[in-house]
Amino acid sequence: MADPPPAPDIQPHTTPRWVKVFGIIAAVVILLVVIVLVTRPGGHGPSRHTGGLGGRPLPASVTDHGV
Amino acid sequence: MTMPPRLRKFALAAHLTVSVGWIGAVAAYMALDVAVATSQDTQTLRAAYLGMEVIARSVIVPLAFASVLTGLVMSLGTKWGLFRYYWVLISLLLTIVATVVLLVETQTISYFAAKAADPTTSSGDLRALGSTLVHSVGGTVVLLVILVLNLYKPHGMTRYGWRKQYEQRRKQRDQRTALVP
Repeated sequence: MADPPPAPDIQPHTTPRWVKVFGIIAAVVILLVVIVLVTRPGGHGPSRHTGGLGGRPLPASVTDHGV
Repeated sequence: MTMPPRLRKFALAAHLTVSVGWIGAVAAYMALDVAVATSQDTQTLRAAYLGMEVIARSVIVPLAFASVLTGLVMSLGTKWGLFRYYWVLISLLLTIVATVVLLVETQTISYFAAKAADPTTSSGDLRALGSTLVHSVGGTVVLLVILVLNLYKPHGMTRYGWRKQYEQRRKQRDQRTALVP
């Protein structure tokens, strides 16, 4: 829907510069997070600590003691 | 609906208390997170992981929900509204994102605490768990951004807010015109 014509006492709608800058920074941060999540071996969350499929290798103590 | 001044002040005090408290609780959590990231001592690691879970579950999560709730009350009960100004809208989105990431991260923290509480977990396993420092630092940055937005209230209305203001002013102008004989 088109904006209504501005009244004499109100400025037409514009997006402030700080919002545009904020949006660009947010987009870059989201992109970086997605890249890290996709490229990081073992994915994300507690599973990455269990040494399961694709996870961090189990510490030596675990294999030594057969836990 | 706009709140009466006394109620608005009370709601503002509550919102400030829980929001700043949230940042403070994250700072306390981060101190333990740094200890986890830097220490090799088994007792320190066990104590830190257990402490991190207590702080996250008993303090940070309740404060996050309280912050969202009081923020909604403040927005809807004042002239600012929820979708009228960019600073309010961005604060709301960031708060929701921070809360969702916190809830997901709490599962990881609980897993760490369970491993730390288990006496059969060896020192090597404890050291291999790692920290949540990236999340706690990232969360602190997001909370500080929200704090700055709420303090400075940078100008700028959303398209929705602009429409509402336009309709309101046109209505006032029409009323004034109707009153003139």
